[in-house]
Amino acid sequence: MKTDFSFLSVRDVSKTFGALTALDGVSLDIPRGEFFGLLGPNGAGKSTLMSLIVGLKSPDRGSVHLDGASLDLRGRSQLGFIPQGIALYPRLDARQNLAIFGGLHGLRGRELGLRIDELLAAVQLSDRAHEPVKNFSGGMQRRLNLAAALLHRPKLLLCDEPTVGVDPQSRNAIFELLEQLNRDGLTVIYSTHYLEEATRMCSRIGIIDHGKILTVGTLDDLLGQLSFRDEIRFPQNDRTASFAQALAPYGQVLNDENEFRFHPSPNFALSAFYREAETQGIPNRLIQHQRPTLEALFLQLTGRALRE
Amino acid sequence: MKSILVLVRKDFANFRRDRAGMLLTFLIPLILIVFFGKVFGLGGASAERPGIPLAVVNQSTDPLVNKFIDALRKEDSFTLITTQPSANGPRALAESDIRPLMQADRFHFAIVIPADAISTQGGVHVKYFTNPNNQIETEMVSGLLQKVAFTSSPQLLGRAMQARMRDAVGSTRTEAFDHSLAANIARTFGGDENEIFKSLREGGGVFSPPESPAGADADEAGVGLNRFLQQFVHVEKEQVVGADVKSPQATQMIGGWAMQFLLFAVTSSAAALFAERERGLFQRILSGPTRRSDILWSKFLFGMILGLVQLLVLFFAGHFLFNIEIAPYLGRLALVCICAAASCASFGMLIASIASSQEAARGFSTLVILLMSALGGAWFPISLMPAAVQTMAHFTLVFWAIEGFMQVLWAHATLLQILPTIGVLVGITALVMSVAWWRFARGAIFD
Repeated sequence: MKTDFSFLSVRDVSKTFGALTALDGVSLDIPRGEFFGLLGPNGAGKSTLMSLIVGLKSPDRGSVHLDGASLDLRGRSQLGFIPQGIALYPRLDARQNLAIFGGLHGLRGRELGLRIDELLAAVQLSDRAHEPVKNFSGGMQRRLNLAAALLHRPKLLLCDEPTVGVDPQSRNAIFELLEQLNRDGLTVIYSTHYLEEATRMCSRIGIIDHGKILTVGTLDDLLGQLSFRDEIRFPQNDRTASFAQALAPYGQVLNDENEFRFHPSPNFALSAFYREAETQGIPNRLIQHQRPTLEALFLQLTGRALRE
Repeated sequence: MKSILVLVRKDFANFRRDRAGMLLTFLIPLILIVFFGKVFGLGGASAERPGIPLAVVNQSTDPLVNKFIDALRKEDSFTLITTQPSANGPRALAESDIRPLMQADRFHFAIVIPADAISTQGGVHVKYFTNPNNQIETEMVSGLLQKVAFTSSPQLLGRAMQARMRDAVGSTRTEAFDHSLAANIARTFGGDENEIFKSLREGGGVFSPPESPAGADADEAGVGLNRFLQQFVHVEKEQVVGADVKSPQATQMIGGWAMQFLLFAVTSSAAALFAERERGLFQRILSGPTRRSDILWSKFLFGMILGLVQLLVLFFAGHFLFNIEIAPYLGRLALVCICAAASCASFGMLIASIASSQEAARGFSTLVILLMSALGGAWFPISLMPAAVQTMAHFTLVFWAIEGFMQVLWAHATLLQILPTIGVLVGITALVMSVAWWRFARGAIFD
């Protein structure tokens, strides 16, 4: 039975390149309308997974289904793909580029013309429509790169790090367009190694490393998995020593070289901590409070930082 | 099919925006054709072309030697150098001038005809000086000298034979032989025995002509001996094929030139596959409803159409610039052009399938194109090459394409007659494309 939860279904997919295992038994279910983030460092297997989903590579094992059907040539017309590079013809103008990619999806004549107009407006390039792409800035090229994947109104959009090297203005334009498309019902898989992008846009995030999906969930789910708790640090001196002693019943106090590290118990209200600190005359500027982050989760799961 | 057409249109749109590509495909070949056309004196300018410089020092006073030199002078392929500038104006070239002037590269060939050129010891004695820095030129000059000697001055050879005979058997027995020969001629063919003997002695032991027929004018009678002697070595020339070709040299050369330019243009367009791969364009295209084979076919089709257009442009340029006649044979020429362009396009695809990068493809293709052009007869006739190389030439598409062009433009072959050549070109295309396809399937160009 076809369920909404299995709009895109990746089952036990593996792919090796010689001795390198790029993907190792990856399974994923993406429901219709989701904005799914695929988070991982360079070489984690994000692009390989994208390539398998869009049919550029065949898996050694496993299967990929879209809307219950395997992704044959016809099925691929439901996909839109933004490759990592700027996959445009630099000598041709923006309009010509879009006409080619629209044409490859079977769009012709007036329908194609209207769609090109619509998308050029959406990526704020209407006034540069007849200019060769090679004259565009990196950000403009990225925006057009996005538009080229949307001409045929795909049901699933795969974005493989679409904002690499983009200026903040273009990045925002891309985010806003993607968010708008998602609100309109487009399912998006967004691969990135930028945490802020994943946390801003994605309703669910999968963390991938060494070809394996390590965990999948909403941001809250993921942070909930983190064994790392809030940590409050403050310097060691005569005044803070008694404060540290007072905190001992409410959590774990570790005595580091020059500072105390306090990990509060789950039921300990942080407001009580700050009240006690004020009572003890310890200024806020001496207190450093670290909260759980995706970066910390990633570090915990993989043992390495996201941008390594 | 629709995807293929979209991709072909894309390639043409890209090509229209590629000024360097346009220049290299159309303008540069045209400029080179005009340039080389002028260099080789095509298009009616051949009369202005100077012959190969040949220095001649004549130390003999024998009238037969003068006749030989006159014949050399009349030979279009030679420019005779017989004088040397001096303070007092030009002076006759001396033997002592030859070596220094050849070392100064003033000319590569010289003959010195000594005073005893037709020696009493027998034979014609000529000194021949060469600087054979160009094999083809050297062989050409040697052949021309022999031709002039045999066809224009056979008496020289006759005189030499008489001298050798005198040397071998003595004057008395030679004279007796001539008497005997004259008597036999008179007995068999008629005529006065004494006149025939006199003619034999003066003509260098060669038969004298029969008397001029009654009514022949004085001039004809005067040259009778010469004409008769020339009949012994007279070559009856009949041009069986290509006699009505308007611009022979240009027609012979245009096919070879066009093929070289075509190969460079088409290979370059196929090598562009690498640039598209590096930009991630294949990823985008193949993520949609387009097959890998669509990309390859589109590239082949684009190369073929581009090649066809280039060939036709070059042939039309040849028509307007060098008077090459193409209008009556346009249909057959277009057919050969299509097949030649297809085979070149397949070659471009093969190069792209073998190479690992655009740079490697360009370097490798340049090497192969030059080799194939040389072997295939685009630079010089393959008949000048060793037999093994001539056999190898048959395995190049350049050879078959030139063969096709020549069949149409030179021999005015019918459609039926050019079919075997067309068949070979189509076969080459199919074979090369199959190998390219196999290589693409195993390679990483779409990864």
